[in-house]
Amino acid sequence: MQRLLPAAFCVVGTARRPLTEAAFREELRLAVAQHSRTKPLNEEVWRSFAEQLHFVATPDDRGYERLRETLDRLDHELGTHANRLFYLATPPPAYASIVRAIGEHRLRGDTGWARVVIEKPFGRNRESARELTEILHTVFREDEIFRIDHYLGKETVQNILVMRFANGIFEPIWNRQYVDHVQITVAETIGVEERAGYYEQAGAMRDIVQNHLLQLLALVAMEPPAAFDDKAVRDEKVKVLRVLRPITADGVATNAVRGQYGRGFIEGVAVNAYREEPGVARDSRTETYVALKCWVDNWRWEGTPFYMRTGKRLPKRSTEIAIQFRSAPHQLFSREASEGLEPNALVLRIQPNEGVSLKFGAKVPVQGIRIRSVNMDFDYGASFMVEAPDAYETLILDALRGDATLFTRRDEVDQQWAFVDPIIEAWAAAPEGPPIYEAGTWGPIEANLLIERDGREWRKA
Amino acid sequence: MYAEREVHARRAAKSISELSLRHPSRAIVVLADRGAPADVEAHIEMHCHLPVADGATQVCYEQILVRARGDSRQRVASAVIPLLVPDLPVFLWWTGAPPVSGPPFGDLLGVADRFVVDSSDFARPDIALPSIARINSQAKGLFGVTDLNWTRLTPWREMITSFFDVPAWRPFLDSVSGVRVGFAVDMDGRDIHPSQALLFVGWLASRLGWRPLDALASSEAGGLLFAIARSDGARVMVRVRPRFERGLEEGDVSGIRVQAEREGQLAEFVVKRQPDPRHQTTTVLMNGEKRWERTVPLPSPAIVELIGEELSILGSDRTYEESLAALVRLS
Repeated sequence: MQRLLPAAFCVVGTARRPLTEAAFREELRLAVAQHSRTKPLNEEVWRSFAEQLHFVATPDDRGYERLRETLDRLDHELGTHANRLFYLATPPPAYASIVRAIGEHRLRGDTGWARVVIEKPFGRNRESARELTEILHTVFREDEIFRIDHYLGKETVQNILVMRFANGIFEPIWNRQYVDHVQITVAETIGVEERAGYYEQAGAMRDIVQNHLLQLLALVAMEPPAAFDDKAVRDEKVKVLRVLRPITADGVATNAVRGQYGRGFIEGVAVNAYREEPGVARDSRTETYVALKCWVDNWRWEGTPFYMRTGKRLPKRSTEIAIQFRSAPHQLFSREASEGLEPNALVLRIQPNEGVSLKFGAKVPVQGIRIRSVNMDFDYGASFMVEAPDAYETLILDALRGDATLFTRRDEVDQQWAFVDPIIEAWAAAPEGPPIYEAGTWGPIEANLLIERDGREWRKA
Repeated sequence: MYAEREVHARRAAKSISELSLRHPSRAIVVLADRGAPADVEAHIEMHCHLPVADGATQVCYEQILVRARGDSRQRVASAVIPLLVPDLPVFLWWTGAPPVSGPPFGDLLGVADRFVVDSSDFARPDIALPSIARINSQAKGLFGVTDLNWTRLTPWREMITSFFDVPAWRPFLDSVSGVRVGFAVDMDGRDIHPSQALLFVGWLASRLGWRPLDALASSEAGGLLFAIARSDGARVMVRVRPRFERGLEEGDVSGIRVQAEREGQLAEFVVKRQPDPRHQTTTVLMNGEKRWERTVPLPSPAIVELIGEELSILGSDRTYEESLAALVRLS
């Protein structure tokens, strides 16, 4: 719909279940008609696109052989030189066997490039992530592997880099000297929905913290890369992940909080507890909420904590990064006058209402001095009247073009697991399960204590 | 804005919308109707003031009416919190006397930066004012508490204070012997709303360091009588009296008289409200002889002005809090 795909291309769908090409096309047509940003669906455009949609069932080796023949035939017809992007939208346990099949049946062509896009979760701990990478490496080189973290495809996340490194005014104060602390929030109102089977095994730590939250942290904390390319950007991100101070078993109690939602109300509607959701064990210990206090042990961030939280069934959907600056060094205004004044904060809102706001103090217009905080707001939607592309549109197009900047590299994944594994293990070993928080609240009381102990508080997102 | 009666909700919604040029905002009006089957629904209105000729910018104002039917106590907060605009200060305006805790009050208070009540609506100030004081003591700097009735007192406090800016009269402040505060009632005098007058007494007591001497007793004419000890221990008689006066809102202070005796001189400092056109007269009498009189305009008591004033302030109003605390101690 945006005329971004190359002149000659085709999409070959494959699955174990049998499906006719017509049925496959119809399934996609319905999905596109429902979800596309350009509505209504232009039938002419769709008909031409649909001609490039094919389907091959791969229940067994013979199926994979048929897939190879189809790919070779299409390459020949379209002149695409066996340039192939493999996109695995399957449950993680199937990755290994699919990748092996790609190798055994020589699905990557002889002439062109081959790339593979892997969905999260990438492994379920450091060891399994390494194993998966090894399996992938039997068929693909590291630079051919595109691990998706769809958060990185979001406009505002990319805007973090632009904000920081295309402007002269932020970077000089982006350090321990001026920043008191950083808060990163990924809040969802939804519950586990139909994903119980996956979520029971994963929990918020594997589902959100290991990938999205740590990636956001890396983007906020990283040093300026020398160039905006895949190597420079990812080199800097991984440096941050490497110096993330490990939360060891005895540090878990003070630096990590988990929770699981109980019954409550979301937008005025009564909702079930996590343990009452279909597919969830009645005595499940899976965490649906995580709050962490992290330290980036380097020159720039010494002494500046990063507080992160994520959860399901929180009061509102909101993803944001707040840089809380230190107060002015000398208070010349009386305590009474400045009671409505909060420290400066730069807030990067990622969803919803993408934008940036800067909070500073202003004088209330009456006689005498009274100060309160006001906000200077930048709203993405108001400045650019273009609807931001979906993160997946950005990422898949990037993969087709071979730009891996917004994908997660092997060493990043490795460091991310290295950080979360000990916390998950400590929780698994603890005698008691996660504390229960009421749905529609901002998580368990322990999460407030985590930050209030330091004389700070969570933002009202 | 939380209301349990439609008329309160409408009135408050109208006041906030009149303020939209001064305070662009998103107003969320919660109308809790306990009589109906349980349900929550929201209705949204948006108003924009188009740019006018003098180059003022366009200002938009949103109003969301949340109708919570039946026993909605548990669910109201979950409907309201997602509607809040991040990083905008939150004022919780509660019509009628607030409960001390429990949903949705506690949950809504938890997201508020400022808690606004109007004690002129309180039918039982002897119960409601101490509970406001308790809410205030729980605030611990998380939110400020204010009372629109306190804002109505501002012109009275200003006038009384201005007497003692005069060097010759300043020493009388330490020898106040009696105070009379009149407040308006309707013709039959059935419902009396003395909160505003009481807050004035609390203010004097907190500023001058007065302490309770005897328990509060009803005085003969349906008013209230306080016996108070000054900071030097001498006795002060404070009388709060209902008076019927045309053109005043019930409960509004109509006049204040402060008496002080010093070195054989009896000084009287009087501020009275005159109805038409609205103004105040201030008078000083020495041994019954008029020494000074002046007339000043009296600011409008319209609720929209009061709330407008409160919306520009964040944080707590320490003078109000101390006055309220002093009042609760006195009674």
